[in-house]
Amino acid sequence: MAYYLGIVQNIGIHTLLGLSAYLLLLTGQLSLAQVGFFAIGAYTSGILTVIFGLSIFPALFAGALTAGVFAFLVGIPVLYVRGLMLVVATIAFSEIVRLFFFNLNWRAMVNGVEVGPDSTQGFREIRYFAANGWEQIEVVSLIWFFVGAVLALLWWLDRVRAGAVLRAVGEDELAAQSSGINLTRVKVAAMTGGGIIAGIGGGLYAHSTTYVDHNTFTILLATFAVSYPILGGLSSVFGTLIAVIVIQGVMIEGMRFLGDFRNILFGLLIILAMNFRPNGLLDGNTVAALKRRLFFLKAKR
Amino acid sequence: MGFDHIDVLQSVIDGILFGSTYAVLGLGFTIIFGAMHKLNLAYAASAIAGAYVGIGVATLLPVSPYIVFIIGPVASGLLGLILYTCCFRLMPDGNQLAPLMASIGALFFIDEIIIHQTAGSPISFPALFEDSFFEIGEFGIRGDLVFVMLASLVLMALLLLLLFKSKLGLATRAVSQQVVAAQLCGIQTHKTNATTFIMAGVLGGFAGCLAAAAVGVLSPLLTIPLTVKGLIVTVIGGLGSIPGAIIAGFMVGAFENLFLLLRGVNERDIFVFLLLFVFLVFRPNGIFGKTIDRD
Repeated sequence: MAYYLGIVQNIGIHTLLGLSAYLLLLTGQLSLAQVGFFAIGAYTSGILTVIFGLSIFPALFAGALTAGVFAFLVGIPVLYVRGLMLVVATIAFSEIVRLFFFNLNWRAMVNGVEVGPDSTQGFREIRYFAANGWEQIEVVSLIWFFVGAVLALLWWLDRVRAGAVLRAVGEDELAAQSSGINLTRVKVAAMTGGGIIAGIGGGLYAHSTTYVDHNTFTILLATFAVSYPILGGLSSVFGTLIAVIVIQGVMIEGMRFLGDFRNILFGLLIILAMNFRPNGLLDGNTVAALKRRLFFLKAKR
Repeated sequence: MGFDHIDVLQSVIDGILFGSTYAVLGLGFTIIFGAMHKLNLAYAASAIAGAYVGIGVATLLPVSPYIVFIIGPVASGLLGLILYTCCFRLMPDGNQLAPLMASIGALFFIDEIIIHQTAGSPISFPALFEDSFFEIGEFGIRGDLVFVMLASLVLMALLLLLLFKSKLGLATRAVSQQVVAAQLCGIQTHKTNATTFIMAGVLGGFAGCLAAAAVGVLSPLLTIPLTVKGLIVTVIGGLGSIPGAIIAGFMVGAFENLFLLLRGVNERDIFVFLLLFVFLVFRPNGIFGKTIDRD
């Protein structure tokens, strides 16, 4: 049972990562900085509960806020410049964050034990849940509460003007600009939102695994984060969820017998998927067809 | 610790010499970007993979280990063609995300195959003139780094000759300026783009071999840093600018080695990557970039 709960927990955290990339992808921007925000959220909230003895909710809030602030600050110079520069800058940002935590040494004595991030040794003993008697099922519920909330929020976003603005920028920047949309402002807003979501995910990740180190927060994880919404398709938030379940649940967990061939498979899967379904699994036409089937609507001819 | 100006100058000189490999890699990224206005993120990985293939052939066959410098670039050129076919050729024109994502997939595909084949451990690379060392006044200069520099300069000169003096180069530049007009003049865009990828691949293969020879080992840990530094060189030089990429390559090399001296190996790359942000804030279009790219 604990094993299956572990998978569900993992899927929840990766969904948060994927959704944080999804928000920015709606504006047509591919960012590999999500893993940087994820790491900032993880370390900030971990340090707050471990060294400062804060409770989990204010710590998660502070982690999300810090990640959001960094997303905002990085977003301004990076999103001001159009196009592919963003990919380069966000890779560099994620590597800066990773190397910063690789060098971070902040040890403190709490209750007679030395705790805190220990540079290359990683950050151990993030034991808030165990110390406060949380059952694993409660931890999983907490994670999925946040996943559900973010999913609902993004689903709702598509039904209001803000979502239309995001998609307008993603579809055609020139057209969006001519109808009076400030491109940089919209993109920075999406980046900040994505940063907050990734920060929450990072905080939950640090506390549910009790241990983080710089090796977790590599460009590979950033690639996972953007590959979920891209493989799943950007027409619906559920595309991201389905892609996480397929990749993390079926490919990574279900094919354990393949060993390290799974990582090779991941790269190959992305190449193949992009060639055969460049707009993702749930692209616009598929979503429309599914809606017709599910709600017995008549097809438009 | 105190550093005098000799230490600082010495490390800057070494950095500039090693930076020539970054310049070559940045040049490869730049000509691919110039031709298609798309980034090939698997480019540095294909350069490293070429060097690995070269090493593999050199260990399996009873030949001189220096054959690496022929096999490596050829393998990288072939990989460039494969990458073009798999990640760029069949993608819809307007879709920017799909080819980018596919090339990231290819980056990890190549990287993981290398890790799988070598079990992740580094392989020693044939060193160039190990014991040659020049002393000029108070400075010492490593002979192999001088060779790396000279070889890079020759490569860059050859590429520029090819781009600006041959019919092939004319076609490449035509496609990069105006695809439709080039097509109307009877240039086959796909063929030209494929040639560009092969040229960039051969160039990258040499750069990969030179970098590995200067470092002394070949390791999958080289892929991501070389990718990021090659990209930074491209951006700092101005996307699509050839002289920019060359100058930025030397600059990044010098900067990197300077911070290796000042801050140590663990913090060095932080400062190199921060340099990119300094440029993004104060000079977003790079050293030689055109200013029309702004919103």
